[in-house]
Amino acid sequence: MPADPNMKILVVDDMSTMRRIVKNIMKQLGFANVEEAENGQEALEKLKVDTFGFVISDWNMPVMTGIQLLRAIRADDKLKAIPVLMVTAEAQKENLIEAIQAGVSNYIVKPFTAEVLQEKMSKIFK
Amino acid sequence: MLNGNVKLYSELGELARYLESAMRKIAEVGAPMVANSAQLPQATAHLLDLNKMTEDGTMEVMRLTEILQDNHARVAKELASVASILEAVDCRTLAERLGKTAQELGQDDKHLMDIMTALSFQDLVAQRVKKLVTIVEDVQRKLVELVVVFGLKQEGAAPEVQGKAGEMLRQLEASKSTAIKQELADELLSEFGFKQSGSSG
Repeated sequence: MPADPNMKILVVDDMSTMRRIVKNIMKQLGFANVEEAENGQEALEKLKVDTFGFVISDWNMPVMTGIQLLRAIRADDKLKAIPVLMVTAEAQKENLIEAIQAGVSNYIVKPFTAEVLQEKMSKIFK
Repeated sequence: MLNGNVKLYSELGELARYLESAMRKIAEVGAPMVANSAQLPQATAHLLDLNKMTEDGTMEVMRLTEILQDNHARVAKELASVASILEAVDCRTLAERLGKTAQELGQDDKHLMDIMTALSFQDLVAQRVKKLVTIVEDVQRKLVELVVVFGLKQEGAAPEVQGKAGEMLRQLEASKSTAIKQELADELLSEFGFKQSGSSG
């Protein structure tokens, strides 16, 4: 199913610069409805009270990491269908395997380009 | 049996002397170790300052890039509107020229997006700095443990650490308190007879 340009997207990263970069790319790609969260816990709270169509999350974050957030999403009946894209500096094979086993929709290694993000999104929403 | 005891006492004496010598040597290195470990919190603070500086710089570049992107979007819309009017009045050549300009603008938009994504370096730098801070803090904790285990007390104020590391740390500290702002620099320059822009003289 192609991505709905009006869908609400949640960008989760403890670094404000990264949130702004992803938000900017999303805007340039035609997705203006973007919200932010600083860690997994804050993201989970937002996901539970609102309807999001897509989550883009970092891995290394305080309070609740990206992988913990992913597991929490997949364990929740109401949230488990939301596609989750991980954008992370964790480039080890073990990390990728762990994310796949936890149910990640796709995986981007930092630093990345807008083209890579677009390509991964189109694979998720095909 | 007697010979055995003598040999044992002799060995024990040798061991005691060795231990005493080792303890003396450890005590000798204790003071510089305590002084050096005292530098570590300052060093980590400077590392965290570095993160803040790169974050501030990155945010400013992002702010300016976003202004350019918004301006581009407005110009592109205006160009498209003018081009369609020109098409309607059959000014195809002018409309084509505007179309080419719009294409170039589109290329620049891509460059602006590349600038935005290139700024993700800041996140990677910040993550590495955080890891370094964790390592330095761990080293400091272990040094403190050694100080406690071997009873290496620092009498009075810690001596200034000599060498390159100490000098660099002093420079970093000095740059915090002695860094002057442009207004102050201009004031000083004026006092020494330099004419400043905007000054009446």
